[in-house]
Amino acid sequence: MSAQVDDPGTGADSKKTESAPVSDAELAAIFESEAMGYLDQLYGKALQMTRNPADAEDLVQETYTKAFAAFRSFEQGTNLRAWLFRILRNTYINSYRKAQRQPHSTSADELSDTQLLDVESRNPGGSRSAESEALERIGDPQIIEAMGSLPEDFRTAVYLADVEGFSYKEIAEIMETPVGTVMSRVHRGRKSLRSLLADYARADTELDGDGPASDEAAGGEL
Amino acid sequence: MSCGKPHASPCTEVVASISAYIDGEVTAEQYQVIAVHLSECPPCFDEEQAHRVVKGLVVRAYGRTRAPATLHARVRATFRSVDGQ
Repeated sequence: MSAQVDDPGTGADSKKTESAPVSDAELAAIFESEAMGYLDQLYGKALQMTRNPADAEDLVQETYTKAFAAFRSFEQGTNLRAWLFRILRNTYINSYRKAQRQPHSTSADELSDTQLLDVESRNPGGSRSAESEALERIGDPQIIEAMGSLPEDFRTAVYLADVEGFSYKEIAEIMETPVGTVMSRVHRGRKSLRSLLADYARADTELDGDGPASDEAAGGEL
Repeated sequence: MSCGKPHASPCTEVVASISAYIDGEVTAEQYQVIAVHLSECPPCFDEEQAHRVVKGLVVRAYGRTRAPATLHARVRATFRSVDGQ
């Protein structure tokens, strides 16, 4: 985000092709017309992070306040939606999460491959098709619970890819990390999620009876 | 994870690319290789299906979130007041 607002840049943006300075009022009008449409999406992500409607509202409010204050340095015609999601996540990480000291604050980078393999290898046998059927019967609250127990980096990568349909390149921009890292986070996040959900499914239906599942990561649902 | 039969592409590589494949983040060439492999290898196919199910569950669980109408008004008021200063 280093380019100037009045830089013609790619010329792809229809609203600002002239190089004259933009007044505050004009900038506010542009911001309102272009940024407000993402409020529901940002609120959804905020709710996923805070798991509390009041906190999610405050987080979205703070995000828009920061985004508006920084909007003059935003390069028109680039990815506004990704930019807003990045501000949202950084705001959450820098203020809200530190203040809350939430238990689910592990970074994916702090988890070793061995720990992840432990999670992933807990479902070694049995029919995968039966597993898929069992997974589909799991309720939304348990999905959200399982998502909440993932490391934040995994959870955010999965959420942005699945719920918001962001490309890996956009997620890389939002999370300020290489695309290869995003790919790894999405994949490992889904694998961990699947393992956690398989534990839920097994507890609910005694799916395949292949022995007791350890539960160190599932939040005590069993 | 292998069905024991020989494939042009190793199961480990296919499984490692499953999420990118599902998300449309592989090249057309990679897509073809993986699609062929999945058609030949039931364990990898089941792996792909499970990942698709998980993705679908996440979409289902979070897909309907809407912000309260009051938040729209509150946010607009914030930057309009900033603009007015």
